[in-house]
Amino acid sequence: MEIPILITAFCTLLQVIPYYLNIPVIDSASATMREWMLLVVNMAVFVGVISLGQVHGKRIQRRGENWPFSVVLMVFMVLMAIVGFPLESLGLGFKNAQYLFMFNNILNPLGGTMYSILAFFITSAAYRAFRARNWEAAFVLVSGTIVVMSNAPLFTSSLPFLITWKDWIFDVPNTATGRGVMIGAALGAIALAVRVLMGIERGYLRGGGEE
Amino acid sequence: MSILDKMQRIDRRYIYLAAWIFVLFPLYYPLGLPVPIGRESKAWYNYIEAIPDDSVIIVSMDYGVSGMPELYPMTVATMHHLWDNCLERNWKIIVLAFWNQGPLVFDTLLSQIDPAAKYNVVYGEDWVELGWVPGSETGMAALATDMWGQTPRDYLEDRPLSEYPIMADIRTAEDVDLVISIETGTPGLPEWLRQWNDPFGVPFIVGCIGVSVPGMAPYLASGQLSALLPGLTASGEYELLLSRPGLAVAGLDAVSMSHLLVVLLVLIGNVAYFASRGKEAS
Repeated sequence: MEIPILITAFCTLLQVIPYYLNIPVIDSASATMREWMLLVVNMAVFVGVISLGQVHGKRIQRRGENWPFSVVLMVFMVLMAIVGFPLESLGLGFKNAQYLFMFNNILNPLGGTMYSILAFFITSAAYRAFRARNWEAAFVLVSGTIVVMSNAPLFTSSLPFLITWKDWIFDVPNTATGRGVMIGAALGAIALAVRVLMGIERGYLRGGGEE
Repeated sequence: MSILDKMQRIDRRYIYLAAWIFVLFPLYYPLGLPVPIGRESKAWYNYIEAIPDDSVIIVSMDYGVSGMPELYPMTVATMHHLWDNCLERNWKIIVLAFWNQGPLVFDTLLSQIDPAAKYNVVYGEDWVELGWVPGSETGMAALATDMWGQTPRDYLEDRPLSEYPIMADIRTAEDVDLVISIETGTPGLPEWLRQWNDPFGVPFIVGCIGVSVPGMAPYLASGQLSALLPGLTASGEYELLLSRPGLAVAGLDAVSMSHLLVVLLVLIGNVAYFASRGKEAS
């Protein structure tokens, strides 16, 4: 067996075994490995910043498509990183007034706006998609409309039975479908894990998938 | 193009304009529509009311700024509910986050509510904020077995946990009686359940955005999730149950009007579709 696959199998089993067996030595080793992984995850943030800098730096340099947006991104990434740097003796860190100002007056409204734009898209999409062209579409149309109406006090205050109907849709068809999807996905994940452990799935090694 | 065709192909820019007007109008001129209380908000309220005395409760801020329009009102209402009962019931409240913007969102809440002044709760004795715990699901697993190791210092005052009386007997997930996760996605409930509910039996209640609700149904049916507060409408109902109308109640009329627009547009599209089909057939 190749060394990378051996390492993968070892690390995986070290996390899986404590879930089923209570062996103090393995529990301790497993906890230590989780701490290592947290360090690796934190380091990955820096890789993300470097990658972002490379992608947008090149775009700005070549005056690529929408390059002014890349300038905005780079400026604010650097600015927030400097202002939020944890050096409180220099007045930096994410509790200083400048950082909080940018968070409350730039990031916060922008985040809310991005999410709120969904309302426009969903309204337009519902108008186009909810059309009873066949029985299946009619089924989606009726159940979707009931759920939409049941979430609005405007309708439920005068038509309280909508809440009961929505609860039934949520409890019966939705739960049944959700369970099916979850069980299917879990079985898929188990199959993938077994393939990885057996060295059949090698895509994560950048080795080019199955041999 | 006939009128029936036009009704089926309304330009999306007009739809956006209509959506804008339908949402904005009730914000300026509140309609004050009656709000029936649904079972989810009732279950959430009753669950928090029934938390036993001396319980240790984790409130996890698992969302960022983009989730604030929908989740912030329920966070505010839940914290009011918890702090209000904290002293009388001797609850110990630990606030943390697995989303890196979670603590900043909570800072916003603290800038609007001073728990010490309003509820006489003492930071470090009745409640504490541990801040962001990195590592997503791995972080949850690590926190479950060693809370002091994963968050050696608190977030608000940056002091070692050993200086806070509240943390004296809280070391692992076994010392926690309830997790309240307010969340928009991953990491969220499935990760929590795998690392805290299955191995340690910690009960969960979750507040989530509307689009996440269908995915929560199986967990609710299985009993792994004890209560669910879905979206802004349920938040508004919860605020009314607390007799503390706030941000969510203020937004309910806008929710109603935007939903009315969706229903009207769906109706227009289908009436035109069937009318044009009938015309073609004749």
